Amino acid sequence: MGDTIRIALTKGRLEKDTVKLFEKLGFDVSAVKDKGRRLILPISDQNIEVVLAKAADVITYVEHGVCDLGVVGKDTIMEHGGKYFELVDLGFGKCKFALAGKKGEEFYKGYGVKTVASKYTNVTRAFFEGKGMDVDIVKIEGSVELAPLLGLSDGIVDIVETGTTLKENGLEVYEDVAPISARLIVNTVSMKLKKERIDRLVAMIEEKLEEI
Amino acid sequence: MKRYDLITPEGTRDLLFDESVARRTVENKLEKLFKNYGYSEVITPGIEFYDVFMLKSRYFAQESMYKLSDAKGRLMVLRPDSTMPIARLAATRLKDEIYPLKLFYNQNIFRINPKDSGRDDEITQSGIEIIGGDPKRADMEVLNLATEALKSVETEDFRFEIGDSAFFKALISRVTGDEEETEHIRELVENKNMPELKIALKKYKENADTRALYELPKLFGGAEVFDRARNLFSDESTLSVLEDIKRAYDYLCTLGYKDKITVDFGLVNKANYYTGLLFRGYIRGYGMPVLSGGRYDALIGDFGSSHPATGFAVNINAVAGALLSKNSASLGQIPQVLVYADKDNLEQGFIYCRNLIAKGIKAENSLHASLEEAKEYASRKGIPVIDIVDKTGKSESIRKDQSI
Repeated sequence: MGDTIRIALTKGRLEKDTVKLFEKLGFDVSAVKDKGRRLILPISDQNIEVVLAKAADVITYVEHGVCDLGVVGKDTIMEHGGKYFELVDLGFGKCKFALAGKKGEEFYKGYGVKTVASKYTNVTRAFFEGKGMDVDIVKIEGSVELAPLLGLSDGIVDIVETGTTLKENGLEVYEDVAPISARLIVNTVSMKLKKERIDRLVAMIEEKLEEI
Repeated sequence: MKRYDLITPEGTRDLLFDESVARRTVENKLEKLFKNYGYSEVITPGIEFYDVFMLKSRYFAQESMYKLSDAKGRLMVLRPDSTMPIARLAATRLKDEIYPLKLFYNQNIFRINPKDSGRDDEITQSGIEIIGGDPKRADMEVLNLATEALKSVETEDFRFEIGDSAFFKALISRVTGDEEETEHIRELVENKNMPELKIALKKYKENADTRALYELPKLFGGAEVFDRARNLFSDESTLSVLEDIKRAYDYLCTLGYKDKITVDFGLVNKANYYTGLLFRGYIRGYGMPVLSGGRYDALIGDFGSSHPATGFAVNINAVAGALLSKNSASLGQIPQVLVYADKDNLEQGFIYCRNLIAKGIKAENSLHASLEEAKEYASRKGIPVIDIVDKTGKSESIRKDQSI
């Protein structure tokens, strides 16, 4: 099939890691590396078009089928949900969601309803719903570490990579919520209409991932 | 107080001109098809009791339904689906009819989508339901009609997919009896979420069943899938379902759809009323299925009168949208003639126009107070001819090329 497949990449680190992966697969990624300010870039030898977008938008474009594939973090998938196939764990972009708070305090102690601050309110809600626990959730857009320090919340749910920011602010991880890594997502109709091409690409990626 | 008198609610829209024509074109084609095959139309209320959609198996998530209450405080919903009201109808008013019942409908359903998702909350659906009859024959009939429906509205570029949730049900029942865990794994299979499925299955001892569950989402494609599937399933019951699907596949090939059909063993619908053969139709340019259906043998029993049943629905919004984007030329009807008469000859004008229409000419009577306005109107609407009627009822024509 001569169809172009369009793949949306989350701008930034996931984009770089994906381009590295494509490079290892022997794709001609020169246009993507030398992108300037362009947002749609060709991998001409593979008849692939790369679209650069913000994480949540990658999901939106794939869900609506204007992009066939997408590379997006599990964090965004968990927060936004939606309907698409989540086909491959790409292994890079690894980190985790964790419940954290002031060092040395016991989060689960006492009867009072806890307040939890997070940028990821859906993830937070799902986590505590799974425990059958009522919590007040406060949405914070920026440095969520401030919330417990200023006394707004008892804890935070946030992405933790090395834990350095937590440590430097006198916070610690109480509990892991979920592991995170980059995922390859596929539009449900593209998966059927462009099966041969997508299958081939996925097989190549999976093979390369096993080697690493 | 903020007023919302100038906009429509999220997920709804006004359909103008060509959009309406496209929608009616699709509806009419399907109506004709269903009638030709001997189906009778039913229309169910737009408002139903909440209970209709809240049966044992909880088919509809309550957050996806528009709710209101009646004068007695009872909870009502805007119909989120047509199959369940028709099941209610079949189990009650139609229970003494001659079976099988062959019904079709064309009506709107309402569902609450997540905020800002850009999806329609009000969707026109056309579909059929076959209630009763020999299940094998009914399955063949429904497959034929579903593909005919797609062909009649989208002649070339469609795909048709078949599957059966029996495979999943058989495998999962041997792996776990836990309902929550089953739903979790079902969701992962449906979303072809391979990484998470691997993790979820790690909890159980690895055996042929867990391995088959992991393969299930990848089992889709053409005829080659059947061979791969045969190696995965060991017990009689799943193998016999496999043969049924193979037969359905071969049958669709015989109908001439070989290059359009795929099989997907990972097809496990969320609307859990499906009990057997499942199918979906896709068209290029729409990111979700435009047709979906399947067998639902237990549903009517939930309303108290047990019958096997099958059916499908077509998302008219989606298909009409595709039709509209393909036909860039106007689908609307431009009149052939604009009839204009001076204020002293108004009666003559109207009679003249009526006579043209009686002859089968698409004519429009000008409601403009001056000929200049009428000319301007005709040129902007692309009406090629203006007939100016005098007091004797005779006319003089101005053609488009002359008037400009």
